[in-house]
Amino acid sequence: MAEAAGLTLSGIVKSYGTTPVLHGIDLDVAPGEFLTLVGPSGCGKSTLLRILAGLEAPDGGAVSIAGRDVTQMRAADRNLAMVFQSYALYPHLTVAQNMATPLRLRDLTRWQRLPLVGNLLSRQARRRIGARVRAVAEILQIEPLLDRKPGQLSGGQRQRVALGRAMVRDPVAFLMDEPLSNLDAALRVHMRAELAALHRRLGRAFVYVTHDQAEALTLSDRMAVMRGGRLLQLGTPAQVYGDPVSLEVASFIGSPRINTLPGEIRRDGAVTCMGLPLGLRSGAAPGPATVAIRPEHLTTGEGFLSGTLNYAENLGADIYLHVHLGAEHEVVLRAPAGLATPAPGARISVARGGGLPLLFAADGARLPATPAVEAVA
Amino acid sequence: MTGRAHLWFVGPALVLMVLILLMPIAVAAGLSLTDYGLGNRSTDWVGLANYEQIFTRSAYEKMFGATFRYVAITVPLSVGLGLGAALLVHSVARFGDIYKTIYFLPVMASLVAMAIVWEFTLHPTIGLVNRTLEQGCGTWLETWGWYANGCARSFPLWFGDRQYALGSVAFIGVWQAFGFNMVLYLAGLTGIPRELYQAAEVDGAKSAWDRFRLVTWPMLGPTTVFVVTISFIRSFQVFDTVEAIYETGGGPSRSVYVMMYAIYEKAVRQNLIGIGAAITIIFLAFVMVLTLLQRRLVERRTHYV
Repeated sequence: MAEAAGLTLSGIVKSYGTTPVLHGIDLDVAPGEFLTLVGPSGCGKSTLLRILAGLEAPDGGAVSIAGRDVTQMRAADRNLAMVFQSYALYPHLTVAQNMATPLRLRDLTRWQRLPLVGNLLSRQARRRIGARVRAVAEILQIEPLLDRKPGQLSGGQRQRVALGRAMVRDPVAFLMDEPLSNLDAALRVHMRAELAALHRRLGRAFVYVTHDQAEALTLSDRMAVMRGGRLLQLGTPAQVYGDPVSLEVASFIGSPRINTLPGEIRRDGAVTCMGLPLGLRSGAAPGPATVAIRPEHLTTGEGFLSGTLNYAENLGADIYLHVHLGAEHEVVLRAPAGLATPAPGARISVARGGGLPLLFAADGARLPATPAVEAVA
Repeated sequence: MTGRAHLWFVGPALVLMVLILLMPIAVAAGLSLTDYGLGNRSTDWVGLANYEQIFTRSAYEKMFGATFRYVAITVPLSVGLGLGAALLVHSVARFGDIYKTIYFLPVMASLVAMAIVWEFTLHPTIGLVNRTLEQGCGTWLETWGWYANGCARSFPLWFGDRQYALGSVAFIGVWQAFGFNMVLYLAGLTGIPRELYQAAEVDGAKSAWDRFRLVTWPMLGPTTVFVVTISFIRSFQVFDTVEAIYETGGGPSRSVYVMMYAIYEKAVRQNLIGIGAAITIIFLAFVMVLTLLQRRLVERRTHYV
């Protein structure tokens, strides 16, 4: 058994030609941790994963695994496993052969891999490999598929086989590049749960790249939000969601998107939003600011804002109301349970629910804000 | 419903196919059973006599021998070199297009013209090849027995010596065909997903050979089926090189008397259309059997993505 090991990326810089892709990324993955790299497409998260895997060389910075610098080590020697977005199964090999490939390449000599002669030379090793493949197939419940070829499998089955191929050789960490993005919605949710269970069972670090914030929020121990080749925030899902460091993070994480409204920090420290008092105080310099409120922190009722309903988004469990406030602004709010959906164009009054609004400076940086005492009273 | 519209849809294609593709073959098959010749006053039904001749007379034995030897040299070499060149061209970052063009030049050139160029190049006394070889006489190269022999007497008459003639003609065939195979393989190579190579790398395929065995070769399977089939058919059809180099007779003691040339000699030169047709039918049968055989053997192990 390989030891559970941590991975460290420090000062990773990468550009393709003259296009910079990563601007100095520092990241620590603790042993056994499930870390998600999340960000919009083109933010460099996949490149970062491939640098970690050794499939691409960074222009600067260092990669280390379990404290050992592996920047110059090739992917084949790093003992990491990777699951690709396209699964990258060998289409001419059966499922069993696909899963056995990493073991064959590592445990058998070149002579032992020869077709007929190799069979005789390595009976025992081959039996060991076969047993290992069957054991992993049992965990993933793909035993009946072992003799099939990838072309005969469904997307979800291929996904499992790709996982199986990664699992057979007990790597120090698993790297996954949007592994669920080719599955349909229902299967994705199901595989999400399976991945979480698998992670607990294997006890290895998972580094998981996704653009789907729902996957990031549900699966991760910690998530790293990336954008434009920079690491914006690294923290637990609760931290990233509830305490984002910038407006970019706040807008990217959370669905529907967080509402942003123009606000102001007055000279006495009180914060207003569209001229209305918010019951917040901020120690930051007075001036204009952006107030951001999660849809679930708004509700219907008198007391805050009002506008006309643009459209009601029914997600089954929740109904989100998109309300126009004049010509320029719109807020989305979660309708309270049991509310009859109003018709578009109806007058809607918006009230504050629980939760504190977040305050951001004009450049998107988070500003400190605390509830004002008199507002609570 | 008893409409006949469907006949109008299927009809034209069917008629054309029968008229253009199947009829000529049927006519050839019919003629092969006669002693027909253009301008003959009478034509007799001779049954299988033409075929009997082909399978018993030594001239035809030589024909089969030459054809099979030519195919046996040309196909593996042109496929192998085509694959090798494709892998090399595919791996270079720059100048790939230039290499592609250069290797493809022989394919575009007229084979008759090129055969004449080669005839000069390989000319026993004034040819570039033998004159270059002569420069090496008196050096360490003479330690090689074949070379010493060449210096002592003369270097081979590449096209005139029975020992070398077929090899020389096959060389031109390979030279001409491998660029075509390379282009087909290049198309196959660009179709291999890069992620497969990365998966192979992560799985521990360290050497180029491992990657080739695990990814490149299997993924080129469909291309290989096509390339090998095409190469077989094209080398069975070799004619212009032989015709351009040997004006009569199919080379020294008929060592380059390939089937296509035999058909031409019999049917066109000697006006023995019956025999010519019989060779054509046998030729067709060979190509057909080979193609089917090769499909069965290779396709079973080939994966189509």
